Amino acid sequence: MKMTRSINIKINSVDRKLEIKDNELLLDVIRDKAGVKSVKAGCWRGECGLCTVLFDGKPVKSCLVLAVEADGRDITTAEGLAPEGQLSPIQKHFVEKAAMQCGFCTPSFVLTAHYLLSVNPNPTESEIREYLSGHICRCGTYKQMIEAILECAKQQNQAKQTTAQTTRR
Amino acid sequence: MSFGSAYLTLPDFQYLKPKTLQETLQLLDEHKDEAKIMAGGIGLLAFMKERLVDPRWVIDIKAIDELHTLHDDGDKGLTIGATTTMNQLLAFEPLKDKYKALRDCISLLSDPVLRNRSTLMGDVCEALPFVDGPTPLLVFDAEIEAASVKGKRRIPMAEFIKGIAETALEANELAVAIHLKSPPEHSQSLFLKHTSSSEFSIVNLAALCANPTKPENRTVRFAYGAIAPTPARVHEVEDLFKRKNPVPQLIDEAVGVVRKSTEPMTDVLAKAEYRSHMLEVLSIKAFRRLLGS
Repeated sequence: MKMTRSINIKINSVDRKLEIKDNELLLDVIRDKAGVKSVKAGCWRGECGLCTVLFDGKPVKSCLVLAVEADGRDITTAEGLAPEGQLSPIQKHFVEKAAMQCGFCTPSFVLTAHYLLSVNPNPTESEIREYLSGHICRCGTYKQMIEAILECAKQQNQAKQTTAQTTRR
Repeated sequence: MSFGSAYLTLPDFQYLKPKTLQETLQLLDEHKDEAKIMAGGIGLLAFMKERLVDPRWVIDIKAIDELHTLHDDGDKGLTIGATTTMNQLLAFEPLKDKYKALRDCISLLSDPVLRNRSTLMGDVCEALPFVDGPTPLLVFDAEIEAASVKGKRRIPMAEFIKGIAETALEANELAVAIHLKSPPEHSQSLFLKHTSSSEFSIVNLAALCANPTKPENRTVRFAYGAIAPTPARVHEVEDLFKRKNPVPQLIDEAVGVVRKSTEPMTDVLAKAEYRSHMLEVLSIKAFRRLLGS
């Protein structure tokens, strides 16, 4: 039975060709074969959310995805949210609000918050809580993370309004 | 990374991703019990990690266009394809009002990130007692459409789950779609559940009511799950609510009927007595909300 194959996968806008086995998890391949380490392994059973990646733009838990499923697909991790050496808006707000303690879960919360703001630019606090319910932070910095997300949404919306007003003039 | 632990790795298998339904059915006919069907993979991969399931072949059905269907045909009902995700269902307009019990059920399942991959069909085919999907499907008289190389058939939801992790599907059959019947006009439905310290239900129920104030036209439907190995519809309460007695009295009687119709089980999540009590509490709440008493 042939059980290895090569897959073409785009990780953070870079095309990669990787040799994988059919029974390998996307989580392990991203970390060990592609060397992207912001994707953390926590529970391996879909409960902690730390292995979240954007799979064709949508968040999925990579411990419950086969690596072979990602053939020809586009994967984004926290490293891909902003160019090298820079921070994306949501990353900046996480830093400003000190929305982390040990930092282990931070990349997954940042990614999921980034996605949430892209589909719902003006979420309420309860919508944020609901959306992040599949992620666990053992340090318990949920309060600061929610503040960071609300502040990021507020500033992005203000910036949008300013741009719209300038264009109208 | 996986430290060689069985719980963190998957057993060996070969992955297949057929592009057509015909091809899938042939593969399934050839490999039968040695093959497992995968859509979202949430349940399957978790069970494989625990070595509860060890298939030689994993057949991914996400490339098959016809399984992605999701359409509302008005009075003719609603069709949900096997690969339709929970998030697609939550965003689907007809579910918001007409099939509210199903929507409420999905909105309480797992979490928004997992719902990007998990499917209602996967939930139903897992056939585990604490899975919520089948209960609302019972009040919408759902049928599971199964296909094999020999043809198609429809299995009523009430006959689909045979026991714990056991369905009416043959080894060469693929569950391709869920068909829900349109509920009575102006009906309202709801879904309630009580969980242990996890998301897993120890009792869940779905109920539907049309014309609550006119006994002769009143329609009530009621189903429960998680309390026993298989979910069930309680038809006895449906006739009871056609009577002209005051509603609070009917509710009292109905709750008694519901309690007597069950054989609650004891497992790691809860004891039978507790399940029975919580079913009573949730039933009262459900009937009061729907019948406005």
